[in-house]
Amino acid sequence: MTSDQAAPREPGPLRLGDRSFGPGDRLVMAIVNRTPDSFYRPGITWDEGAALARVDEVVAEGADLLDVGGVPAKPGQEVTAQEEIRRVVPFIAAVRAAYPDLVISADTWRHDVGRAACQAGANLLNDTWGGWDPKLPDVAAEFGAGLVCSHAGGLPPRTRPFRVWYDDVVADVLDTVLGLAGRALRAGVDPARIIIDPAHDFGKNSWHSLEITRRLTELTATGWPVLLSASHKDFVGETLGAGIEERLAGTLATTAVAAWQGARVFRAHDVALTRQALDMVAAIRGDLLPVRMVRGLT
Amino acid sequence: MITSAAVVPSPPLLARDLTGREVVLPELRQACAVAVGRLLARPADIVVVVGAGPQTTVWEPDGRLDLSAWGPTVGSRGGPATAGKPGLPLAVGLGVALLDEAGQVGPRLLQAIDGTATVASCLAVGAELASLGPRVALLVVGDGSARCTPASPGYFDERAEAFTADVEAALRDGDMAALAGLDATLAAELMATGRAAWQVLAGAIGPQRRVPGDMLYADAPFGVSYLVAILDPALAHCCPAVPEEAPT
Repeated sequence: MTSDQAAPREPGPLRLGDRSFGPGDRLVMAIVNRTPDSFYRPGITWDEGAALARVDEVVAEGADLLDVGGVPAKPGQEVTAQEEIRRVVPFIAAVRAAYPDLVISADTWRHDVGRAACQAGANLLNDTWGGWDPKLPDVAAEFGAGLVCSHAGGLPPRTRPFRVWYDDVVADVLDTVLGLAGRALRAGVDPARIIIDPAHDFGKNSWHSLEITRRLTELTATGWPVLLSASHKDFVGETLGAGIEERLAGTLATTAVAAWQGARVFRAHDVALTRQALDMVAAIRGDLLPVRMVRGLT
Repeated sequence: MITSAAVVPSPPLLARDLTGREVVLPELRQACAVAVGRLLARPADIVVVVGAGPQTTVWEPDGRLDLSAWGPTVGSRGGPATAGKPGLPLAVGLGVALLDEAGQVGPRLLQAIDGTATVASCLAVGAELASLGPRVALLVVGDGSARCTPASPGYFDERAEAFTADVEAALRDGDMAALAGLDATLAAELMATGRAAWQVLAGAIGPQRRVPGDMLYADAPFGVSYLVAILDPALAHCCPAVPEEAPT
């Protein structure tokens, strides 16, 4: 660890917007993409009406926060900052109007998009591309928003890993995310609003993603809240030989393993099932009361 | 002398913490609370709890149920402290919990009765309890057959219907001779864990007596016969004694 990195901390409340979530809470972050071409079920919320209906749905299913993105992670047609704002910001404003208390995350690496999103009511900036734009933490600080500090292996946004290797991928993840968290703290981001994310598949092959899943306790042991973003990703597909529509079981298994190791935020396409998987883990851990127990007790 | 008696069942789910977020069988819980309230309404020098246990013995009066035996994480979350002592047998412990919930504060005697005890020894234990003082309140904790339906823990036994009807009638009518006459072998085969405690009740009130009874709950929502009743021996002078001899 270098002196620029955030130090390990005691687990504490995670603050998002006006909400505060304890270390034992497990949050579902529902994905609502304002893109025509994201990797999983592309375009299903491209239409604004469909996207707003999806918000109603995921809120009813128990989502704790939304993650709104306007640019797919994969390479493809350029999406300018102006176009990203056009896709995301009016939508965030509409959601904010409909749900005054809902926590909204903007999935962006660009500070100008982040700024517009916060002005429209976003509470969290999900910087999946690992701090590519150094001005993003300043925006989070300015608006009192949260910041997700991710490991993308140093790759530029929207690029794929090419023969990427690490002496120790978990050590590299820790170096990066704690470094980004340190930068966020120096920028003035509220420490209770900083999340770290190993970012499965980003700058990693699938072996690397399995490794960070297996050793997630090394991240949770830092005390910083850990985000798991694994939903339907390629490492699940490659591990199971499963096509894009066949990765739900693998996603939920990854979710359970990460939850068991103390991850606190779960970025998910399947909100109700993720909620159920997390509740099951929470009950097994003894953090959540079961709904109704009578078997053998009658 | 027994001045009042209440009969309640002993499913672990009566311990509120064991059922999770939902309150299970609120109507049964309510009936138990009413029965204990009526039991305690009549002045008594001591309240005796009797329920089945691994052997016939008196437990220390400050004993409690250790819920961790049924719900390990529930026990570790707290609940009534057992202070390192072994927890009470289920039926006795649930009776104590009902007394605690009702706010009972006076002297207690916690009597476990071996679930396989003979009729004669149950009656003898009951007689001994009745002699504890001039005013003894008796809380009898025990269940009917756990073989009432195919969904029952013990599956279905067709003999359970008549057995359950007999017990219900005996409690409703305050017919101690009928309770004393229950067949221990049949009760065991029907998984009626309350048989021994009911016969302690008969011995305590008098195995030939008939006393006013009031049934507050009689149902088998999970295929186990739960009965909640109040018996009022203090009013017995209004009722004719049963002429038969006590069973031997």
